[in-house]
Amino acid sequence: MWTIGFLIFLSIVLGIGAWLFFIWSVKSGQYDDIEGPKHRMLDDEDEK
Amino acid sequence: MPQCNHCLLEFPDREAVHDTIDGQERVFCCKGCSGIHRLIHQEGLDAFYERRKWNETGIAAFLFNKEPDIKPFAEHVTESGDVREIDLYVEGIRCASCVWLNEKILLKTEGVEYARVNYATHRAKIRWDPDRTGLPQILKRILSIGYIPKPFSESEQLRVQQAETRDLLVRLGTAGFLSSQLMIYSIALYAGYFQGIDPGTKRLLELIAMLLTVPVLFYSGMPFIRSTLNGFRHLRFTMDSLIIIGAGSAFIYSIYEIFSGGEVYFDTSAMIITLILLGRYIEAAAKGKASETVKRLLELSPKTAVKLVRNQETGVNERETVQITSLSKGDLVEVKPGEKIPLDGTVIAGESESDESLLTGESRPIAKTPGTEVIGASMNLYGTLTIEVTRTEKDTVLAGIIRAVEDAQAHKPRIQALADRVVGIFVPAILLIALVTILSYLARGSSLHQSLMTGVSVLVIACPCSLGLATPLAVLIFTTMASSRGILIRNGEVIENTARLGHIIFDKTGTITRGKPLLKEVIIADHSLARDHLLSVAASVECMSEHSIGHAICEAAIPAFPVTGFKAFPGKGVEGHAAGKQILIGNRVLMQEKGIDMTALGPLHGSVGDFEGQGDTVIFMGWDGAVRAFLVISDIIRDEAPEAVDSAKAMNCTVAIVSGDTDITTRSIASQVGITETLSGTSPVGKRDYIAGIQREKHGVMMVGDGINDAPAITEASVGIAMGRGTEIAIESADAVLIRNDLRLIPYFIALSRKTYTVIKQNIFWAFFYNIAAIPVAVSGVLHPIIAAGAMAASSLFVVTNSLRIRKQRGNRE
Repeated sequence: MWTIGFLIFLSIVLGIGAWLFFIWSVKSGQYDDIEGPKHRMLDDEDEK
Repeated sequence: MPQCNHCLLEFPDREAVHDTIDGQERVFCCKGCSGIHRLIHQEGLDAFYERRKWNETGIAAFLFNKEPDIKPFAEHVTESGDVREIDLYVEGIRCASCVWLNEKILLKTEGVEYARVNYATHRAKIRWDPDRTGLPQILKRILSIGYIPKPFSESEQLRVQQAETRDLLVRLGTAGFLSSQLMIYSIALYAGYFQGIDPGTKRLLELIAMLLTVPVLFYSGMPFIRSTLNGFRHLRFTMDSLIIIGAGSAFIYSIYEIFSGGEVYFDTSAMIITLILLGRYIEAAAKGKASETVKRLLELSPKTAVKLVRNQETGVNERETVQITSLSKGDLVEVKPGEKIPLDGTVIAGESESDESLLTGESRPIAKTPGTEVIGASMNLYGTLTIEVTRTEKDTVLAGIIRAVEDAQAHKPRIQALADRVVGIFVPAILLIALVTILSYLARGSSLHQSLMTGVSVLVIACPCSLGLATPLAVLIFTTMASSRGILIRNGEVIENTARLGHIIFDKTGTITRGKPLLKEVIIADHSLARDHLLSVAASVECMSEHSIGHAICEAAIPAFPVTGFKAFPGKGVEGHAAGKQILIGNRVLMQEKGIDMTALGPLHGSVGDFEGQGDTVIFMGWDGAVRAFLVISDIIRDEAPEAVDSAKAMNCTVAIVSGDTDITTRSIASQVGITETLSGTSPVGKRDYIAGIQREKHGVMMVGDGINDAPAITEASVGIAMGRGTEIAIESADAVLIRNDLRLIPYFIALSRKTYTVIKQNIFWAFFYNIAAIPVAVSGVLHPIIAAGAMAASSLFVVTNSLRIRKQRGNRE
């Protein structure tokens, strides 16, 4: 019983972590341009 | 410095690549140019070098030489601390490299601290230090690499829309996360049902499931709850009320069952909300993308005009750029060639032609001399005009047309989506079944508690989760398919209207035709002359002209002869010395004035009459006292128009043309594309009324047009389509836009809409089917969560796979 309780608690804590991460990513505008990044990652950033 | 013979680039001597072609020494800037030149020469295509027009490629060159006007940008600059920031739109971005180039160039500019270009929207955010650089330098920097910065302001409407989409995404993400957690406990409970579970663990799992459902229902589902409460107040049943009835009754039922030891339906409750939110999000995202593209099509340039103000001291007129709205009656305005005439007025000085086809449908440019009237929003073609404004704001011709558009918009009936119509009947029916179930259980002597629970279980099973996906998923695939072909869908509701279409009405000028005069035929009276030679002579002379007919001839051939003594006779024609002869090209009047013998035409007189009868312009060419040939100029039809009309007819649609042009021209164009029904000489309001007349007889009408004068009709029609090169107003009033101006997209669009509509109907049927099939189980009182979950999974799976079938729709060219 105690094990189940602990595992449930753990899974919910981890889940909430992922959820907060998601909320942060939406709020910081990461979903506003979903086309650009795939091209941008191929750019050279060396000369900066 | 030598100049490359192929690309005309100037380059340092030591890099030159030399080649000898047909004994002639050629010089190139690189191996590539040399290779291409050799290939072109071998294939006998040297004419390329005469034919190419450097000034016509890409964005007009003069735009880059202009000093950027920072006034319209200044109001968009925001200050924060010691840096300034601006959002602007960069015109000319086509691919990821353009984004890269713009960012790198800006970042290398002294004083620029941040530059980021959004690939999807072509918007740049630039931050700079005002002590080290300024806005003019930044704008010049962008111009210098061949892109045009334009001021950009987000409309209030768009900002609201974006905020809503973001809010929806957060709600969906939350619901999705919680539902997936919830499913873990639900599966454990299912397993417990079959294998046996200790009651303590069961209750623990059920309580956790309840805790996970609460935020899904009351946070993610809040918009639905709110609209349901609103709807109930007016006894209206929408999709939202069905969702809340289903999810809410499942939630309440389950809470009760935790304590009485029955089975719980928290998974059903949460899944309904999640899937419906997914559908809503798909819809919102697709809509946002479309409005983004539409905005790009609309003209972004500031609405300004050049006003002439008399300087009191010097008595000279000075130019001043002002907002069009600040102009008043009696003001003098200067309009350069290629610019739009800002307002209605009278010409004071200058001679030119104006293209009024977008306002009136008249395909031929109209000569403008001092004293003639001009219409605001028409295009000034060849000369600089000074205009006195005679009408402003609400009195202009353009404002009248806009009023007609607004009028049509106001009384356009909004068709309720199919799913909503079904739900409107379904919800009361379900409530009735639940009530009858409760009453009959009571009548048979069951306890109140058992009767109520059985009644509620009917509501639990009745709500089809996949209903929320049935339409949006099909619409999403529809819009993706359409946009990959070049049809931009502004409004998903267009599918149903298009699928039920009975009439297609085309505008003539610019839609069926190309909308600009082109050389159609050359007929030679003097048979000793070769056609190519004659045309080349004509082109050499006409290329000097600024007249629209001159352009048509100039574009049709290679001007190979030097011309001396060129002279233009306004409204009549031109004269010039070329190829050893004094060439005259012009209308009958010019020929008579110059003493050209028209009898040389002989039997060809008849065909001149024929062409003129069709509404074409015929001009004559002659020298040494005799007419040698005549040239037929007309606004010719798009190559694909007959094919498009044929396919549309094959789809059981009645096709017609309406135009503001004369009857003769309209009929002649109509017969070329195989249309018999025409309506000519119509005003913008006349076009709208014509469509309204057909619609009153309960037929769906599609209007395809491009001009300002088509806008009221496009709005009025149940399906309005604008050409991508059409005017701002036409695009704004349309439901769909043909980005590639290809009329064959129309039959494809109709076929795709019909297919999608069929799929939507099937989706809705099957979404309901599994749940309705389970209602008897609920009525008999043996409903189990697994049955609800099974119905949910089966119908969702069906809806998804069925929607994917839309992708198989082929165009008529494959």
